[in-house]
Amino acid sequence: MPEALTFERVLLGTTFLLNGGLVVLLGYRKNYRVFPFFSSYVVLNLLQGIALFEVYRIWTFGSTASILVAWGLQFLVILARAFAVAEICHRVLARYQGVWKLASLLLLVAAAFVSLFAWAFSQGKWRSAILSLDRGVELAIASAIVVLFFFARYYAVDLDPAVSTLAAGFFLYSAFRVLDNTLVEQWLIHSTRLWNLLGTVTFLATLLLWTWALRQAQRPATLELLPQDHYRSLSPAINARLKALNEQLGRFWHAEGRNT
Amino acid sequence: MSFVFYLFLVIIGVLFVVFVPLLRNPKRQADPFPAAAALHDFPGSHVIHFPQIRRALAPMDYEFVSQKIPRNALRRMRRERRQVALDYLSALHAEFDRLLRTARVIAALSPEVAARQELERILLTVKFLSRYRMIRLSLWTGFKPLSQLSNLTNLLSGYSVRLEEAIRALGERAADVAEMVSSPDRRRIHPV
Repeated sequence: MPEALTFERVLLGTTFLLNGGLVVLLGYRKNYRVFPFFSSYVVLNLLQGIALFEVYRIWTFGSTASILVAWGLQFLVILARAFAVAEICHRVLARYQGVWKLASLLLLVAAAFVSLFAWAFSQGKWRSAILSLDRGVELAIASAIVVLFFFARYYAVDLDPAVSTLAAGFFLYSAFRVLDNTLVEQWLIHSTRLWNLLGTVTFLATLLLWTWALRQAQRPATLELLPQDHYRSLSPAINARLKALNEQLGRFWHAEGRNT
Repeated sequence: MSFVFYLFLVIIGVLFVVFVPLLRNPKRQADPFPAAAALHDFPGSHVIHFPQIRRALAPMDYEFVSQKIPRNALRRMRRERRQVALDYLSALHAEFDRLLRTARVIAALSPEVAARQELERILLTVKFLSRYRMIRLSLWTGFKPLSQLSNLTNLLSGYSVRLEEAIRALGERAADVAEMVSSPDRRRIHPV
């Protein structure tokens, strides 16, 4: 396996460099002001790489101590990723206060439901349980991003291209992690090396997307809203008219049915 | 290959199928306040043309005409009238779409929205679209929808007048806000 190990190291090195580059870019463009949680996540990822390098240097790869530390760090990174995704959702919809209140609730419910669903399909062993937890969170993130984009499309919310690309990066990473975790859980529970390799390739591709998205400085977005009474008076009126149009179609249909 | 693997593969596949079209942003950000255009763009209701449609599809009319004109001309007349009915349906659909767009813009720009109203609108949309497709299909296949809708037409016309007045007022307000958003000195303008 020496070739595979070398390839793995090259990939890890490239990912580490790209991660460092993204941290520098975030600082240089001052995008950490607009995306503080995303920036924290990227920094944490970089620190995780350094910490894991030290852990595997001190303890052997696969030892109980290294596994515990590695999963502990992974837990922190997943948590940071969840906050970063929440920040992206906030960035897209928060300007639209009413929609954001509705969407944030739905996003939370959807994420919780999907996590539980994924957890329900976990297998008994503890290592498998960690993978299932990871898979549940990743599936929840991917679903939340789809729901977010659906909301944005439904309410004709203007999507900032940079934010779209960041979200697409999260979606791609999470989706492939779900498949990766499922694959490993099902057949290759002992092949952690393959799991790491697939995860690294996915993360590398995601880092490229994020670097592209943040190549320019981002500005905080603002929007003036209409008074609340407009919605209260017009929304029921519009719904009533939509209902009437619907009834017209319904009668159209029934009348036709009776007379043909 | 196990069931769980296929299950997650299908879920991810479905998420991709839904996500990729959503990624395409249909609107560019040239207008800082795109809602203003949607609020102004609100023409009169198409339901006022329903009496003509009713007349065009009435069986008695066909019976009368069939005694007066040759079969070829009758067939052409049926085809043309069916096309008129299809166009009317399309116009109703367009009106529904415009209303939906307006409702979404108002919801998006409101500091608070009611989940019940939003859900009701989604259900109405699903109902409308399913009915629309069925009626359209029936017209294509040669069925002749009849006319018992004059009351509803009156009702819709009433709604139309009231709503258009309200939306026109809202459009003016929205334009003011748009102007304020693009103004270099926002402190001097009070939108509300």
